[in-house]
Amino acid sequence: MGLDFNTLDLLRQNHPAWRLLNSPHAPLVASFLHRVFILPNERIIAQAELVEKLEDELYVLRERRGTEAFPRTASEYLNDWAGNDKGWLRKFYRQNSDEPYFDLTPATEKAIAWLGQLSERTFIGTESRLLTLFELLRQIDAGSEADPETRVAELGKRRDEIEAEMARVLDGDIPFLDDTALKDRFQQFMATSRELLSDFREVEHNFRTLDRGVRERIALWEGGKGELLEEIMGERDAIAGSDQGRSFRAFWDFLMSSARQEEFSEMLERVLALPAVAELEPDARTRRAHYDWLEAGEHTQRTVAQLSQQLRRFLDDQAWLENRRIMDILRGIESKTLAERRTPPSGDFTAIAQIGAAIELPMERPLYTPALKPHLADRVLEAGDVDLDAAVLFSQVVVDKAELSGHIRRSLQSAAQITLHELCERRPLQHGLAELVAYLELGGEDFKTMVDEEAKEIICWSGTDPDGREQTKQARLPRVIFLR
Amino acid sequence: MKKEQLQPMPTAAPDLSSLVIPLLKGVVYRDETTARNAGLWNDLLETQARVRDYVAVLGLELVLDEAEGYAFLRSRLPDGDDAGAQLPRLVARRPLSFPVSLLLALLRKKLAEFDAGGGQEAGGVRLVLTRDDIVELIRVFLPDTSNEARLMDRVDSHINKVVELGFLRRMKPATGQPGAFEVRRILKAFVDAQWLADFDARLAAYRAQLEKPDQAENDE
Repeated sequence: MGLDFNTLDLLRQNHPAWRLLNSPHAPLVASFLHRVFILPNERIIAQAELVEKLEDELYVLRERRGTEAFPRTASEYLNDWAGNDKGWLRKFYRQNSDEPYFDLTPATEKAIAWLGQLSERTFIGTESRLLTLFELLRQIDAGSEADPETRVAELGKRRDEIEAEMARVLDGDIPFLDDTALKDRFQQFMATSRELLSDFREVEHNFRTLDRGVRERIALWEGGKGELLEEIMGERDAIAGSDQGRSFRAFWDFLMSSARQEEFSEMLERVLALPAVAELEPDARTRRAHYDWLEAGEHTQRTVAQLSQQLRRFLDDQAWLENRRIMDILRGIESKTLAERRTPPSGDFTAIAQIGAAIELPMERPLYTPALKPHLADRVLEAGDVDLDAAVLFSQVVVDKAELSGHIRRSLQSAAQITLHELCERRPLQHGLAELVAYLELGGEDFKTMVDEEAKEIICWSGTDPDGREQTKQARLPRVIFLR
Repeated sequence: MKKEQLQPMPTAAPDLSSLVIPLLKGVVYRDETTARNAGLWNDLLETQARVRDYVAVLGLELVLDEAEGYAFLRSRLPDGDDAGAQLPRLVARRPLSFPVSLLLALLRKKLAEFDAGGGQEAGGVRLVLTRDDIVELIRVFLPDTSNEARLMDRVDSHINKVVELGFLRRMKPATGQPGAFEVRRILKAFVDAQWLADFDARLAAYRAQLEKPDQAENDE
């Protein structure tokens, strides 16, 4: 892309990343989206969650800057940012949910990454990058060498170098990388891994653009179906077969082997433990770099699979022909309707089949039940006198749970286990069933218990019934054992 | 209130009832699985032939679109050789007014455009329109009225009718958002080229009918 005046002028007006940097709300947008999407490596967030988070952020900002700052509501801001004129967020519906989801666009990610680079770096390494360049050139050169003899010569040279190094190490001369070299290389590692992660969104975006291009070609095709098929014969896999697709596939295969993942984890652990690297204060997320890549890559894979499937469906025989015919007929319908706009037909015009079968079984209807009509009697309320012993209301049974749990604890001091039956024998139940239930409640909350369904126990207690006579009651329940 | 009591055939596997009853009640979607009918779609795919035979007795045929992911029952067109044995239809045909028919046609157009456009970067198979979108879609075809509120009410009633027919689904409104509707893909199967051609023909006939009395007046 040439950086001449016209291109840049257009870019300033149209590219969402530049628009973001230009916007007066740039600090809010960039800081919020960075915190919510990029730091935790989230790909999509539901609308309700995102609105809540933005509300929190706006609240904090309004506290600091007065209530006039950022006057609109969070959901208004989000819808604005997802609109076509801004293009910083993507809003869409997922398969099994009624709620819309938001995702960053690659342009936003680029802008935020660029902002991240603006801070000054204390140390800019050069040696490791030069070595990487050398290595890359060597790979390209060796990989494109057709002559087998030259290749063998190259490999032989490398083998000699390795053998010489092995001899040196065995002699005791172990070359170490000094601190500067370590820091240099690690910095390059961090920078490249961050770039890799932020590129995933763009990969996905490219896939979608490819898919759309193919669909447009299909939809606008004027000729016969046979020629169309010839033209895009292989393009059922147009997405997977493009440069983007192949490179992504190679990356994915490399990453997916579990041996490599383990190797990567181990190496990463060891490297992060080195003191020189620790001085650089690496981001805590660097430890999980490969997991982040896996997550992002998986998401992209799913998108690609979905796109391919939809494309295949679109190319399906019947669907294609019918779509063409339908568009033609619809054009006809539209023009006729517009012509008859002022006098539309009234009454029933067309008919369409119902979706399900209408099965009505007359005997299934419930019989008539007269509605319950509340009978409102209009009577004057009189005060009544009743001879009741109101003492019943006040004689409540109060079970002292603290005392009961103290009893359980004391009993457990002498024995590791004790059944409920034994507890009740040592301290007979004074308040009857309420106390028994309190024991069970304590068993559920404060103590460890086991219930043996097979064995049943009978717990008895005695109390006074309303007439004042003594009576014993018993309860049968499975054995409950309290454990220490 | 309606409870179907179809007796399963004594030798059939119990699966047949759980397949045929939902089909009789409506459409079975592959993607809208609930806890109850988790394996329903797969079962249906496997035992298609038996289901077809079973519903043929009721004069129905099974339409199963694997690619789109839906299945439903349709009245089987009679063979035509014995007019005496005309069976009454189990699947009724509902009459529609002109605005509702027009709305169905426009929604079908939107669906076709959505498919062709790859979901407009949204990455979904679901076409979701808000009520305002639908009003904009149909407004240009309805007669002018200065009473905007009445127009909205009328469009609302048309939308309700389409929801009743089962082609639009009301989505749960998120907090503070206006209600949205999902256009269900089953619309493709019902509003197909044949239905649209029929609609087109009726419009043409109506137009001709409008012009004829004019001509008759001119002649006099």
